[in-house]
Order: sequence, then structure tokens, then C-alpha cells
Amino acid sequence: MTTQTLNPREIQTLLRKLVRGLTQRFTRWDDVVFIGIRSGGEYIARHLVRLLEAKTGASLPLGVLDIALYRDDLSKRLYPEVRPTEIPFDVSNKIVILVDDVINTGRTVRAAIEHIIDLGRPRRIYLLTLFDRGGRELPIQPDFVGRVVGLTPDKVLKILIPEDETALGEVLISEVKR
Amino acid sequence: MNWPHKDLIGIADLAAGEIETILDMTPSFKEISQRDIKKVPTLRGKTVVLLFYEASTRTRLSFEIAAKRLSADTVAISQSGSSFEKGETMLDAAKNIMAMNPDCIVIRYPYAGTVARLARIMPCSVLNAGDGFHEHPTQALLDMYSMREHFGTLTGLHVVMVGDIRHSRVARSNAYGLTKMGARVTLVAPQTLLPPGVASWGVEVSTAFDPVIPSADVIMMLRVQKERIAEHLFSGDREYASFYGLNQQRMQRMKKHAVIMHPGPMNRGVEINHDTADSPRAIILNQVENGVAIRMTLLYLCLGGSNVD
Repeated sequence: MTTQTLNPREIQTLLRKLVRGLTQRFTRWDDVVFIGIRSGGEYIARHLVRLLEAKTGASLPLGVLDIALYRDDLSKRLYPEVRPTEIPFDVSNKIVILVDDVINTGRTVRAAIEHIIDLGRPRRIYLLTLFDRGGRELPIQPDFVGRVVGLTPDKVLKILIPEDETALGEVLISEVKR
Repeated sequence: MNWPHKDLIGIADLAAGEIETILDMTPSFKEISQRDIKKVPTLRGKTVVLLFYEASTRTRLSFEIAAKRLSADTVAISQSGSSFEKGETMLDAAKNIMAMNPDCIVIRYPYAGTVARLARIMPCSVLNAGDGFHEHPTQALLDMYSMREHFGTLTGLHVVMVGDIRHSRVARSNAYGLTKMGARVTLVAPQTLLPPGVASWGVEVSTAFDPVIPSADVIMMLRVQKERIAEHLFSGDREYASFYGLNQQRMQRMKKHAVIMHPGPMNRGVEINHDTADSPRAIILNQVENGVAIRMTLLYLCLGGSNVD
């Protein structure tokens, strides 16, 4: 088994690239809100928002989405643990930046979009992911990507969330599935 | 995570850790009922049959709303107007319903044990909505959830249940659950309304209400059915109210933070009165609100995934 690792500094570089992309796209932040998909997306969104706030001086709302109840594969797997969705703002008429750590089939994003729309009617939803590993099964593409890594389904891309979640962890890309 | 139960027959069948899982998951479902769009697609395409052989408003409505908020289809059948009136047995009725391939049957039945027997022969999930004097597990779970929501924990809480313990499936289910979760339980009733074998429940028992009031964190009043007077189990409403009813004077002797609960429907003027039922200490309507969330959790756990793993 070979494993490729990205260290926290390299992750920081990817995040800075995403921040640059966002600041090029948006000049006003009044209506922009961030929603991270639990749990990898939440972790990435927190770091991203912290960097963006430092750069822009804006205060950016951040919510967390739990998509367990919106999955399309409930009957084929063990019960995913359900945790509350915590979105402390109204999404109606907002520009939502939906954040996840990795996009693969696109099914998680489909579920997340459906969930967001149950909470209100945003003006627009953008998708931001730290990695795009390919393998899409639905017509869904991210608007902002940290890095594209084409991986076959037998490979694992794992972001290690350190105990102190304010720190950045490593990323492991390994050949064999757990 | 794997949920090992196809059915929910009684709290007696659940381990403390499983009760904890249910209570931990419930806030996620409660949040759905607070949205403008109170619906998630989780159980789309599942059919839930509500079979009520006994009068019920709250429990039936609560189950039906819970199923609908999870996008399941519901069909409710009550005794009047159905073929049960024509003398069809429960077993035949169940087999016929099964032939229509529902995913879950919620049953209330006047005799203990029937729901468990059906669950053994039915391939679909069976949820007990109250069987005779046996158990009413979803009521106990919503009661425990309401207590934990209010106090933060069940461990060490002193819960006093007052009333017709002998005929109360609510008291039995709560006693089983609360003792598993580390609460101290005291049952209060006249000797004639205590069940045989109560000594084995792991609870304290008192025939006098007044002495236990000052140490209670929760006082749960149970409905006293007037038909029990005809059975000479107590002599009258007013005598019962004077010994066991929760009135203003008794409420004033409660701990400052203690709360009043009632599973409903209430007999105002008998076990509870206007002063106490409508006081800020009463969390009776929170219980009803939490009932929907608890039943959503159970439908999700029993129907949401595959049981093969």
C-alpha cells in the first residue's frame, strides 16, 4: 500500500487559493453565507471562513448541514447517525456557498441542495470543495475547487481532522480501501 | 451504527445505551418540526398503517404526523367502521393487512401481549402504541426525553408517579426506563391501585402522596379512570382528589425547580386541577411536542435502514 500525504502547509495553500477565487468573484459580502456539510465540510468551512474574514474584514455567517435524512441510499446501508442541522440564519435570498471537503459521486451535494431548499429559497447556491476526486454519478460540478485529483474508486482520500479542530490536519491519499 | 430491533414492543426490551441513542438522536427530528417546511424525504415510499383498537387522539395523531414529516404514507384504521366490528379476529385482520405489504404497523390494543405476538409473525416493523396494562413505550421515551431536555440528565432525578399505577402502561414503561437510566422512581397510589409484583420493579412505593412531594424533581400525575370507582377501588372523585390530587397547596411544597407532567388526557378536578395543570411548572405541552420528535426517531430507526447487517 502506498500512501501519499499532503501536509497542513499544503492544505493551507489550497485554502488560500480558494480564498483568492472567492474574493475575485465577490466584492460585497452582505448576502453571502457559508454552509458546511457535516463533518468534513464543516471543518473545511470553518478554516476557510476564518481566512476570508481575516482578509476581507467582513463577518461571514456559517451554518452546518446534516444530510443523513436526505440520503438516497438509506435502505442499502447501516443507519447513518443523525445529528442536528445548525443554520443560525435565514437562507432565503442569500448567496449560499456550500462547502464540502471532497466531491466524488455528487450524491451528497444533491442531498445537501435538497436540504437547503427545504429551509428557504436562496438566490443562488455555489459549490466549493477542497478536493475533486472525479467519479461523478450526477450532473453536479463545483464552482470552486482546491485541487483536482483523479482517483479510481479503490483509492481513499482522507482528511485527518486533528483533535484541535482549529489546527489543520494532514490529507492521506492511499491505494487501498480501508 | 446498527439498530438491532425490527419492532418496539416495550421499554423492557431496550438496553440503557439504546434508550440513550434514541434520546440523543431526537433533537435532530425536533428541529424539522420547527421549520417552515416540516418534511424530510427520509421514508419516502414507506407505508405505515396505524391500527387503533382503543380510543386515542394524541398518540394516533402524533404517530401520523411523525410519519408524514418523514414522507411516509400513512393509513389509519380505527375499530369503529372497520371489519373488526364484524367479528374478524386480530390475527386475521393483521394477515390481511400484511398482504398489502406495509413497512410498519403501529398498534394499540386493549390486551397485553397481543402486539408482541403479532410482531413475531409479521415481517414488517411493529410499534406498540399501548397494549392493555402492559407497556406504552413511546410515551415513556417522550417523557424521559422531556425530563432530560429540562434537567440535562436523568441520572439521580427523583421522579414521582401518582395515580392508578395498577392499570397504567405509562407508569410501567416509565418505571422500567427511568430505573435503567439511573433515576430514582417513587410510585404513589392507594393500596387498591398498586399492581401485584411492584416490589420487583426496583422502585419505591408509597401510599401517601404528601411525604414524597418535597424531594421530587418530577411529579407525574396519571389519569384516574372513573370506571374504577364502579370496581370499588376507591370511593369517589373528591376523596381521591383530597388524598392524591395535585392542587395549589401541594404544588407550593414542591422544590423550586420541580416540574409537573401528565401523559394526558387529564381529568381536571380529580388528579390535577386548573391551578396546577396550567401553571408554569407544567411541561405537559412540551411532552406532546416531544412526542412527535420521539416517534420520528423510532420510525427512522425501525424503518430507515436495512436490518440484515
